[in-house]
Amino acid sequence: MRIVVAEDLYLLRDGMVRLLSAYGHEVVATASTGPETLAALLRWRPDVAIVDVRMPPSQSDEGLRAALAARREVPGLPVLILSQHVEQLYARELLADGASGVGYFLKESVFDAEEFIDALTRVAAGGTAMDPAVVTRLLSSGTANRRLERLTEREHEVLALMAEGLSNQAIARRLFLSDSAVSKYTTSMFGKLGITDDDGSNRRVLAVLTYLDKP
Amino acid sequence: MRQLGSWARSACAGFVRACAVFGAGMLVPAVWALAVALGIWWVDGPWLLLPVVIWGAVGTFLLSRPVSRMFRSLVGGWTGSAVPAGYRTVGSVVRMSTGYWWNGHSYERSRKRAREDAELRLRFTDPAAWRDLRFMAVAPLAALVAAVPLAGVAVAVVGFARAWPVGVLGVVVAVATAPYAWRPAVPLARRFLSATREMLLAERVDELLAQRADTTVAQAAEIRRIERDLHDGAQARLVALGLSLVTAEKLMESDPEQARAVMREARVGAATSLTELRDLVRGISPPVLNERGLVDAVRALALDCPLPATVDAPDRIEADPPVEAAVYFGIAELLTNAVKHAGAATARISLNRNGSALVVEVDDDGSGGADVRPGGGLAGLRRRLAAFDGTLELDSPAGGPTRARMVVPCGSW
Repeated sequence: MRIVVAEDLYLLRDGMVRLLSAYGHEVVATASTGPETLAALLRWRPDVAIVDVRMPPSQSDEGLRAALAARREVPGLPVLILSQHVEQLYARELLADGASGVGYFLKESVFDAEEFIDALTRVAAGGTAMDPAVVTRLLSSGTANRRLERLTEREHEVLALMAEGLSNQAIARRLFLSDSAVSKYTTSMFGKLGITDDDGSNRRVLAVLTYLDKP
Repeated sequence: MRQLGSWARSACAGFVRACAVFGAGMLVPAVWALAVALGIWWVDGPWLLLPVVIWGAVGTFLLSRPVSRMFRSLVGGWTGSAVPAGYRTVGSVVRMSTGYWWNGHSYERSRKRAREDAELRLRFTDPAAWRDLRFMAVAPLAALVAAVPLAGVAVAVVGFARAWPVGVLGVVVAVATAPYAWRPAVPLARRFLSATREMLLAERVDELLAQRADTTVAQAAEIRRIERDLHDGAQARLVALGLSLVTAEKLMESDPEQARAVMREARVGAATSLTELRDLVRGISPPVLNERGLVDAVRALALDCPLPATVDAPDRIEADPPVEAAVYFGIAELLTNAVKHAGAATARISLNRNGSALVVEVDDDGSGGADVRPGGGLAGLRRRLAAFDGTLELDSPAGGPTRARMVVPCGSW
């Protein structure tokens, strides 16, 4: 994959580039400020971009804003946002345009390199990938909790993984279940919650997240 | 003989002081006299009264503050203890989104105009202004008493020309009353010109409001600094460490030599991040201050200092933890300045309690020239001390040496 890495701290930028190279991916450009990020995204149109939220010059959410601006120019430009803390607020802003190809992760998610590269590939292919920390917060918020009371524990697990952006096959692998078992769970779950199933697509994640998000 | 000399000196000094009291006290009566004179000179008939009264009233009002200030400074200078004035000050003037300036009462086109308007309002609403006006009725009394030795001199001058016994009488009166005639001005000024309790309280409230605003701003800035240090420092280093380990793990199979190099880097990174964390913790709350108290913490600070620093202090000084922290960081800042800016060779730190105050002196033999610039480190230090009613005095002539003195009142000894 051709990747752009936007990160202001040299240590992390360098580490990220080395990791991606070790996995055989090509980092076409790096950026260390918000404006640089926007320029690099629009110029290189990478297969996927890894963007840090906080960046100079203002040391606020420059990276996130640059990514959102780039996606307004090029809808669906795959972007994976990395941060040292995750906020539901940012996740909502990322998903708000309804386009595909977004990811939002804690920086330490790279420690599980296989899964991180997997999520990166998924985003590059137009999927959605959410950090379990974001999903956990979404699932445990007051309204979601009440609404999800009707689900069995297994269905709950499947829903969480679905919200992270995994396909039925990936969920089956993760939970050591057969594909057909996962299909059974999702069907009954969607029936209970009244969401239309749309396997393997970004829309499904959006449906789940929107559902959890409803006041 | 010596007694005679000291008597003459006190008579001379008293005469000068009496002249000053008389001059200051008679300013307002002089304005009235001038008004009456002009009235008689120019105007005829019943309309005479109106311009005289207006002239006198305006003159009295305008002179009330300068005359009061004169009396206050004279009395303060003679007795060595200042007479608190208690004037209220004009609050801050802010620019509104409309482009107009708001002074708390009205909108004005320019900042200057807004300030002038606020000052004029204050002249009428400030209780101290009315107190000054009242004093204008009292001041002539002091002037009358002070006029006795002056009158004596006048009599003497006239008397020696006409009949010498009258002249002698004038000299005797002048010399005998000169040491005492100015004295009634002192209790009068103290009684009628001092700030009342309410004025002092209002002043104190203004001061505390300003201090509170300063402290809040400083605290918020400090917390943001800590968040940023953690975010860009230790937190980022831990992520980098994880990244290195992941990369090394991956490289183990394909390129073990590079994997080893990456792991070595990771180890160095871990050590660096620990150092950074330790420095950060020390900047928030020095562990030695918690463990051993102020005096030992300052001794530890002196040991860490790159230049030889001696500490002169009692074994233990008890103060509230926030005061201890402020003083500790103050000493740290002063020592840093001594090393970095003054290029000092040695420094001396002394801590003492003086009554109910903690007195800290930091001296160095550096090149001096330190001053409290707005936004500078010393201004920050002064602000942090002000939160505890503490002060920072700096004596740092160009060429050195520098002597800084921090005094912080401590209730809890």
